[in-house]
Amino acid sequence: MVRRSRLTIAVAAIGMLISAAAGAQEYPTKPITLIVPWPAGGSTDISMRAIAESASKVLGQPIAIDNKAGGSGTVGPATMAAGAKPDGYTIAQIPITVFRLPLMQEVSWNPDKDFTYIVHLTGYTFGVTTSAESPFKTWKDVVDYAKQNPGKVTYATPGAGTSLHIGMEQIASMAGIKLTQVPFKGGAETNAAVLGQHTMLQADSTGWRPLVDAGKLRLLMVWTAARSPNYPDVPTLKELGYPMVYDSPFGIAGPKGMDPKIVAKLHDAFKKALEDPAVIATLAKFDMVPSYKSTEDYKRFVVEVTESERKVVDKLGLAKKTN
Amino acid sequence: MDTLVNVAHGLGVALQPVNLIYCFIGVFIGTLVGVLPGIGPISAMSLLLPITLSGTPESGIIMMAGIYYGSMYGGSTTSILVNIPGEAASVVTCIDGHQMAKQGRAGPALGISAFGSFFAGTFALIALMLVAPKLASVAIAFGPAEYFSLMVLGLVVLTFLTQGSMAKALLMACIGVVLGVVGLDSITAQPRLTFGRIELIDGIGLVPVVMGLFGVAEVLLNTEQVIKRDVINTKITHLLPSREDWKASAGPMSRGTVLGFFLGTLPGGGAVISSFASYALEKRLSKTPERFGHGAIEGVAGPEAANNAAAGGAFIPLMTLGIPPNVVMALLLGAFVIHGLQPGPLMITQNPGLFWGIVASMYIGNLMLLVLNLPMIGMWVQLLKLPYNILFPLIILFTIIGVYCSSNNVFDVYVMIAFGVIGYFMRKLGYEPAPLVLAFVLGPMLENNLRKSLILSQGDLMTFVQRPISAICLAFAFVLLVAPLLPALRKKRELVALDEEV
Repeated sequence: MVRRSRLTIAVAAIGMLISAAAGAQEYPTKPITLIVPWPAGGSTDISMRAIAESASKVLGQPIAIDNKAGGSGTVGPATMAAGAKPDGYTIAQIPITVFRLPLMQEVSWNPDKDFTYIVHLTGYTFGVTTSAESPFKTWKDVVDYAKQNPGKVTYATPGAGTSLHIGMEQIASMAGIKLTQVPFKGGAETNAAVLGQHTMLQADSTGWRPLVDAGKLRLLMVWTAARSPNYPDVPTLKELGYPMVYDSPFGIAGPKGMDPKIVAKLHDAFKKALEDPAVIATLAKFDMVPSYKSTEDYKRFVVEVTESERKVVDKLGLAKKTN
Repeated sequence: MDTLVNVAHGLGVALQPVNLIYCFIGVFIGTLVGVLPGIGPISAMSLLLPITLSGTPESGIIMMAGIYYGSMYGGSTTSILVNIPGEAASVVTCIDGHQMAKQGRAGPALGISAFGSFFAGTFALIALMLVAPKLASVAIAFGPAEYFSLMVLGLVVLTFLTQGSMAKALLMACIGVVLGVVGLDSITAQPRLTFGRIELIDGIGLVPVVMGLFGVAEVLLNTEQVIKRDVINTKITHLLPSREDWKASAGPMSRGTVLGFFLGTLPGGGAVISSFASYALEKRLSKTPERFGHGAIEGVAGPEAANNAAAGGAFIPLMTLGIPPNVVMALLLGAFVIHGLQPGPLMITQNPGLFWGIVASMYIGNLMLLVLNLPMIGMWVQLLKLPYNILFPLIILFTIIGVYCSSNNVFDVYVMIAFGVIGYFMRKLGYEPAPLVLAFVLGPMLENNLRKSLILSQGDLMTFVQRPISAICLAFAFVLLVAPLLPALRKKRELVALDEEV
């Protein structure tokens, strides 16, 4: 009897080992949820959908996009960090605000500890637009008006503490003007706000492109290093006398404690997706280019970004007050 | 001309075989849940939401919409035959419809409600085609201040028309707003009212709250009552209404359609209110009001047309402003968003295929419903013979499965059961769940827009009064809030807001 039960245990143990190994090999066996912390229809959403579509072909399982907008793109990752299982079936796009907001205020997540970083993907082209009916023809008009009417110029951003907010505040402090930020949840909302002239300006990523092309919005500046090939007449920040470049690079991560094998599988699939011509074409629509970084490089990059963000936030006086 | 081109384009989308099939499945399920008491379009749509995710957005939305207007058709069948309203909007059809059936005139009653629904559905769609694109260009005039005031108005309208005490309805709306803000704040990502529970970081889910308050509470409530089930056994002869019936119904149908369409577009309006309003209107206009309640065909034709027209009208605020005017539309908004679409001012221009495809499919769906409903009345009666001691446990089982499937989270099942029990006591004590749910959906948007408006106006509250659209909305809301204090108006309110759940 004793022998028999030992045998049973041994068989069960072997069985469990095999099934555990098979479990890792078989991943993914069900659809994966990718949290996009921005509203549907914006540039992040559409580009992530294209990347996910291509990656899902490699993984052999569909990737469902879950738009969880709010908190400047942190509500989604914070929710994942708080509750999701690290089984590879819940991952999230990680915007730069995930690193920046903890420097500015108390938050529920720790960017160093609460995530398993998987792969770095791409960055944005940001720009400032105004309604085609607005009296502002160039950025200089905005500065002149703001000098006479401090705080009267309003601009819509996809959230407080986003690169658009930080960037605009940096520009304002260099130009010696005061602007008022109105935080929305993402591109679909900021488009409507500037189109209906509820805010005078919109600072956002290239979700404005169809409206700029349709002549409904006027693009005043872009925040890339060089001019955009799509808008050769629009000046960069540098040309306007603000020596800065903003592109808010982003990647994807899961909850902390993910199996390295699953991380590798996701990494490989998303890396392949970045090489897919269809994905490159979709990214190009939003003036975005693939910017691949491996899991290890991405982790190092997170540390570097956090350090450089700390300096900017300190300089603007937006840093969290430590007691 | 543009409209014609668009309609043709939409028909092209709607007539694709796959979309035709989804449309048929939608209206079929809709008719079914309309017929079955207890299961309303809300629970059916939330149950089927995950299934629609595999197809294209068009197919998914077409099916969900089909369930909604299909249930408006189906609901009348049981009201007439067995005096049990299939869903809330057909409660008023019971009054005269069942009397007609008892007099052996079930055929004309069923016929006129099917044709009335078809007529109203057609009108609502034509209006939707003509008005919606124009409304969309006006829609960007709605900034944060306007949205805020519109939502205030929507909440007040609903509480005003809800049966029973307005103070109770307002209390429910306030609780709904508080429940809605649980989770991470949408502007600064601070956790609020989560009591340190990680399950609450993401907020309380809409599906468990709705299923608990409506589905579970309904079943709990029904187990207390002995349900009268005197199925009319007389054979239903001549299905079609006579010439006199048509003559009597033409006026009520047209008035019901127009009334229903406009009440449907109002945030917080909707099918239930419009069917009661139409009945009240017809009774007042009639030369022989004493016939109402004793089998007057006008009392069937008007409300049935109204609730179908309202179902069409309700799409306008959703498609053009991105604001769901009722719970069903809020679920549909969820379906849009899960499919990666943001209903709003830009949707018609950015996604013409989708918008016109849905509108065209609704027309085809209405045709299908007419064909489906007339010959299948016999089958519906058979379905009703399913005993309630089997039906009710099945409803509970399906709500639990539905909630679990929508989030893969047992916590949501507990939330649903808790809200089911809360909903039971709420009904017992005369608190309506509808204002709570609407406030729960609108609350976070209300707060977000209030804060944005105040940032834009630099803290000046006058912004809500200075902007014309906002001022008009708030003025209406104020009048409705003060109205119950005036005795004359209070009388009118009681007339309109009859008991929803007879």
